[in-house]
Amino acid sequence: MPRAIARRPILSGLLPGAAALVAGRAGAQGIEPAEAPRRAERWRDLKQAILGDRPTEPAGPALDLSAPARAQDAALVPVAIALSAAAAPAARALYLVVDENPLPLAAVFRAGQPGALRALTARIRVDAYTYLHAVAEMADGRLLETARFVKAAGGCSAPIAGDLEAARQRMGRMRMSLPEGPPAPGRAVPVQVAVSHPNTSGLQIDQLTRLSIPAEYIRALRVTYAGAEVLRIESEIAIAENPTFGFTLAGAPGGELQVVAADNRDRRFEGRWTLGAAG
Amino acid sequence: MAERRSGRLTRRQGLGLGLAASLATRLADAARPAGAAVEVAPGLFVLPGVAEDASAANLGAIANTGFILGRDAVAVVDPGGSLAHGQRLRAAVAAATRQPIRYLILTHAHPDHVMGAAAFADCGAAVIGHARLPLALAQRGPYDLPMLARSLGAAAAGSGALAPTQLVTERLALDLGGRELVLQAHPPAHTDQDLTVLDAATRTLWTGDLLFVERIPALEGSLAGWLAVLERLRALPAGQAVPGHGPPSVPWPEAAEPLGRYLLALRDGTRAALRAGIGIAEAPDRVAVVEARHWRLAEAYHGRNVTAAYRELEWE
Ligand SMILES: [Zn+2]
Repeated sequence: MPRAIARRPILSGLLPGAAALVAGRAGAQGIEPAEAPRRAERWRDLKQAILGDRPTEPAGPALDLSAPARAQDAALVPVAIALSAAAAPAARALYLVVDENPLPLAAVFRAGQPGALRALTARIRVDAYTYLHAVAEMADGRLLETARFVKAAGGCSAPIAGDLEAARQRMGRMRMSLPEGPPAPGRAVPVQVAVSHPNTSGLQIDQLTRLSIPAEYIRALRVTYAGAEVLRIESEIAIAENPTFGFTLAGAPGGELQVVAADNRDRRFEGRWTLGAAG
Repeated sequence: MAERRSGRLTRRQGLGLGLAASLATRLADAARPAGAAVEVAPGLFVLPGVAEDASAANLGAIANTGFILGRDAVAVVDPGGSLAHGQRLRAAVAAATRQPIRYLILTHAHPDHVMGAAAFADCGAAVIGHARLPLALAQRGPYDLPMLARSLGAAAAGSGALAPTQLVTERLALDLGGRELVLQAHPPAHTDQDLTVLDAATRTLWTGDLLFVERIPALEGSLAGWLAVLERLRALPAGQAVPGHGPPSVPWPEAAEPLGRYLLALRDGTRAALRAGIGIAEAPDRVAVVEARHWRLAEAYHGRNVTAAYRELEWE
């Protein structure tokens, strides 16, 4: 899907100026009944912009979206999306949307092999009390949606942790962890990969110049294992600094896991790990 | 009350600050149940905060706030969490002295410390803070004001910080008339704009939120930085401290020990979690949970501290 087209209606409607953003924050008080119609309408508009005219249906037990009800840190809200064992092999793509953010589409995960999307994790920025939506696109074309409300505010403009210069210095470093060890035949395992990158949102302010820091963010990641694509991730500014993603990896041990990431300045970062004996 | 009053007089006479002996009586009259000022050292008054979250009932008076009297001038340290609290503090100053409030010192940008500044808008005081305070206030304002309205309701009206008129990049000495205060700006620790006040005359260190006692600390600046700053503060010539949260005064540097233990447990526990591949979502329930039990409001803030520590340490 052409992303630029998908985003334009949202952008033009939501970035007329800081005043509107502030008003939006102040108005977002939680799940108040009075807010329900506006929130529902917003999600309808977002769906139209992101997914077009295709209808969605409630995911039920096929899809679970979890996030803290009240975030510890609005600039780094951990999100987990799990497909049921039955649904996972047929999931082609997964959309993660932060309804009230200036740029609501946070990430799109596309499966390179069946089951890669079974258990996804990401860390997002949340600008105002919001619904998160996850939509799974199935092989038969159905779109399964689910939602979760999160209380957090200010994540998009929150300064990055530590100093930006240090963050730029280590830009491109990667980390990989296998909490349950390498995969084995019949045993898919969780993998987490992280790219050190300030992932500036364009909504943060430089401490010295008082000007906004230009958006520099990871736009795409591609993960392969033993030469075969596992998944691709399209990533936006709602993804927190040092983009960190989890997914599910199947296969035999001993292969090479490769992550290639690219940012919006066309910098390319790469990490490789041989998944041998111990994780 | 009577006991505290007599102690106050003795200490004041001992230091010869030239304050009227009737002050204590007047102060006692002015004191209101919610915020009776405690003179923790001669001429150094603290309105103790309560160990709660800000609410309409406590008017946001959850941090320790207060003032220091000199021969010629008064310095207010942290006007507190609401306009109403700021007014209460100003009344306590007026009850204690006729000297003008010349300095309004903001130890950092957190709302429970600065929102009462509005009560001092017309007194002509210099508003003093860390060099990074203006930016922090600007960034927090759009979130903190609605949040204050949410927790205090109508009582939040009129509350707000004041823009600093004098910034401290490293160190600044203020003369209150026969009494020197040394303000020190710190590298990122509790926040990235922490300022402490040392009253040499009484060897009292006003720590702002670089010291928490009983109430669980809140980590926002840097865990490694806080540990380092705490070491430097321990070495200062002070026999007591006014913590940002906790009793109005505590012995120094002994009172830093529980905080130091908690921060170390947070650091070591987070590093261990990172090594074990525990994710950031699970870490709050797994890191330093035993140490956290010693603190009030841990259930509300410990997870946030673990998240902040994790965020800082995962790329160290
Ligand atoms: Zn604080």
